[in-house]
Amino acid sequence: MTATMIGEPAIARPAPRRRRFGLPGTESRGAAILVMPFVLLLIVAGIIPTGYALIQSLQAAQGFGFDNFARIVGDFRFVDTFLHIFLTLLVWLPIMMVGVVGLSLLVYSSPGRFGSTMRFFYYIPGALAGVANFMLWLFILNPGQSPIDFLWNGFGFTTLNQVAQPGQLPIILAAMLFFQGAGTWLVIVNGGLNGIPDEVLEAAVVDGAGPVAMAWTIMLPIIRPWLGYMLLLNVAYGFQLFIEPLVMSQVTHGQISPQWSPNQLSYTYAYQILDTGAAAAMSVILLLISLGLGLWIVLRSGLFSDER
Amino acid sequence: MSNSRKSSGSRHAATSRWTPSRAGRVGTMSAAAFIFAVPILTFILMGFRQENSTGQVPGGIFSILGLSLENAKRNLDVVMSYNHGIFVTWMQNSLIVGVGGTLLAVLTALPAGYALAKLRFNGRRVLRFITLLTMVMPNTVLVIPLFLEVSAIGGIGKLWPVIVIMGFYPFGVYLSYIHFLTTLPRELVEAARLDGLSEVMVFLRIALPVSKQAVALVIFFSFVANWTNYFLPLVLLPLSEQGTVTLGLQQLIGSSPLFDPTMSAGLTTKLYMPQLALATTIMIVPVLAVFIGAQRFLMRGAVVGAVKG
Repeated sequence: MTATMIGEPAIARPAPRRRRFGLPGTESRGAAILVMPFVLLLIVAGIIPTGYALIQSLQAAQGFGFDNFARIVGDFRFVDTFLHIFLTLLVWLPIMMVGVVGLSLLVYSSPGRFGSTMRFFYYIPGALAGVANFMLWLFILNPGQSPIDFLWNGFGFTTLNQVAQPGQLPIILAAMLFFQGAGTWLVIVNGGLNGIPDEVLEAAVVDGAGPVAMAWTIMLPIIRPWLGYMLLLNVAYGFQLFIEPLVMSQVTHGQISPQWSPNQLSYTYAYQILDTGAAAAMSVILLLISLGLGLWIVLRSGLFSDER
Repeated sequence: MSNSRKSSGSRHAATSRWTPSRAGRVGTMSAAAFIFAVPILTFILMGFRQENSTGQVPGGIFSILGLSLENAKRNLDVVMSYNHGIFVTWMQNSLIVGVGGTLLAVLTALPAGYALAKLRFNGRRVLRFITLLTMVMPNTVLVIPLFLEVSAIGGIGKLWPVIVIMGFYPFGVYLSYIHFLTTLPRELVEAARLDGLSEVMVFLRIALPVSKQAVALVIFFSFVANWTNYFLPLVLLPLSEQGTVTLGLQQLIGSSPLFDPTMSAGLTTKLYMPQLALATTIMIVPVLAVFIGAQRFLMRGAVVGAVKG
């Protein structure tokens, strides 16, 4: 019991209004049965492989050490892979946050047929994720047969390789990821907006709040946990980038590096260099980054304050 | 300030009159819908077109000329002739792991989410914390260690390990947790306990009947994630005929003369943009079906839940 209480905030919380009636033992036993299937999967698909990655990454020629980390960090592509992700996030995240919140508020303030039709249009692209979305974007980006070939002509691009130059890839990926992700996040943020009780909104209207003030002072604070969550998962997704740069490298004949993202570098070490130690070290580095980011956003977005 | 006064003054007539703000809202939303819909529409229509003798199809914003069902039929035949109809096998494999993983996710996530939201037990905070962290962790981080784990038990090339790994879906637990936290009153749970129901029965009799919304959300997100998963099948299902349709589509792209003339030179089946577009369209049909099926649930469910809550 004490171990689980360490994470409790130091601020004194009001005592629960009611103590529970049942015996603590039955509640714990019931909970154990209910969480058991998930915990089993957690162990098999989460904890064992995480432990395995840690052990693998720390295995050195003699005993344990940081040789694997030295090897992967010393790779001449290591810094570049993170720089690529950083640039992509820099373009993608602002578009994503502003776009999704903006569209959600617009959809929310359009009850009836028009709003639901629009929402449907926005989330259709979510059906194309990963390879399917990439295929669609090959069609858009390839000047010869693109529906927006006038745009590429305007830039003077006539081949895919001219459009998909390395310097432009962060922008292309940001567009791809916004296109495939916006609708799904819209559903989530919209669910949060729909959860706001009518009384709260009516009270705000009575107080004379206009639509902008209402969105800014009432709705955004209420859906803030969802927005924090969205930011959190999108940053994590950014570090996961794999399939898009992988296939982009393939279709541009290596103009985009086959080791463009950290995961691609890790994959190269695991399956081409056959150096699982270095690949595991990269996994652990990515794991630590996402844990750090996750903790930071979780603690700041109030997602953990569950005592409602 | 004057702005907000103005809009609150026009609020009474907003339902029937076209105010500048309403026109702006409708205009913005329509423009966004256009940007989202046109690429997909023209892409799907590409499957009903035909390439010329050099493998090209003319572009342009109204590139919807030369559509016919015969073209689609011919494109389908080309896709199906690729490697003796392996496309069907890929679709089957995707369905098996997608549906299997989703079922497992629903069955494990709902009770766990309920317990985290409504029960007090040892390790609750730790479990919630780990759930959130694993949810945040890129699942690709574990792909290589998972490969070693699965190969240690001789499961490489088999579908069931993929199902088990896909069934581990902490996001589903989180969705269920939030659902029960926000929609299931504690009083209801306590009343059921006073009636003498065990904790498991409280979950089955009280929580499960009001969990439609959570079930729909978990099915929706889990199935889409499984169907579009690429990295996990890439590593666990190394042979082409074991693969899912995501791997298959990448193989089709890779063997298209559009992108790699040398690689495709030896192939009898040549796939150009119309065939690739058709294959992609077929591939997204199951996800589209889940989208359309869930649309009603997700939206109305959320509204109903809010009204009831």
